[in-house]
Amino acid sequence: MNKDKLERLKNGDQGLFAELVRDHHRALVALVTPIVGTSEAEEVVQNAWLKAYKAIAGFEERAQIRTWLGRIAINEAKMQLRQRKRELLFSDWGNQDLNSDPLATRFAEDGHWQNPPTDWHVDSPDSLLMGEQLADCLERLLTEMPTNQRSMLEMRDSSGLPFEDICNELSISASNARVLLHRARTQLFKLVDHYQETGEC
Amino acid sequence: MLSCREVVNDADQLLDGELHWRQRLSIRFHLLICHNCRRYVRQLRMLIFAIPYMHQRASDEEVSIIMAGIVSSEKSDA
Ligand SMILES: [Zn+2]
Repeated sequence: MNKDKLERLKNGDQGLFAELVRDHHRALVALVTPIVGTSEAEEVVQNAWLKAYKAIAGFEERAQIRTWLGRIAINEAKMQLRQRKRELLFSDWGNQDLNSDPLATRFAEDGHWQNPPTDWHVDSPDSLLMGEQLADCLERLLTEMPTNQRSMLEMRDSSGLPFEDICNELSISASNARVLLHRARTQLFKLVDHYQETGEC
Repeated sequence: MLSCREVVNDADQLLDGELHWRQRLSIRFHLLICHNCRRYVRQLRMLIFAIPYMHQRASDEEVSIIMAGIVSSEKSDA
């Protein structure tokens, strides 16, 4: 976002704020869904947008806007839990499933690549996951992904929250969080790799 | 000498800048001689860059619900 746009946004320009909503709303809903559940995620994010609109003048440029919005949404989600006197929606944060690494079958027994990644051809990196055909498969993959892996992906990679903050928020160990993030990323890697190789998924 | 599997396991931390210099060095050494792992790390970096863009944009309807909420709360504050 350029300086002029940002200034107008910070001065309360509603047209620009609507653009912000368009770009980030779905990501924020995905971010809070594991915390409050599908039925309340929309409401939580709606409240988060109200807060964000009131606080936007204080947004500092060196932060990423997605990260800034993500923090507001997570705080809102936690407040919702407190009001309802509920615990974090799922209590299985510690129990990562033990299914094997998504890329495990790609290696030979000696640990070298047996089935190495294909060479990806991408016009611009931000379009890597935006292919129309890929969209459905991506959606399915994300929905079927274990919730704790999905959350790591949304918090760390989609919203850019620092690793330490995530571990604190969720009360999980760094090594546990690492495994979850690795699993989530490698599942996406495998999907894109297959798509790049075959044109389908 | 690291195996490719080990490089793949450590690649996340490598890209997040969380490895000790000694671990970094042994990965770098592996990458010098292994083009499959070079490709993996390069494409993983690309993937991580792309993840913030993986969500669809909100529909007109979703946007107008949010903006209506903002406008009405502005009014009630005034
Ligand atoms: Zn290798």
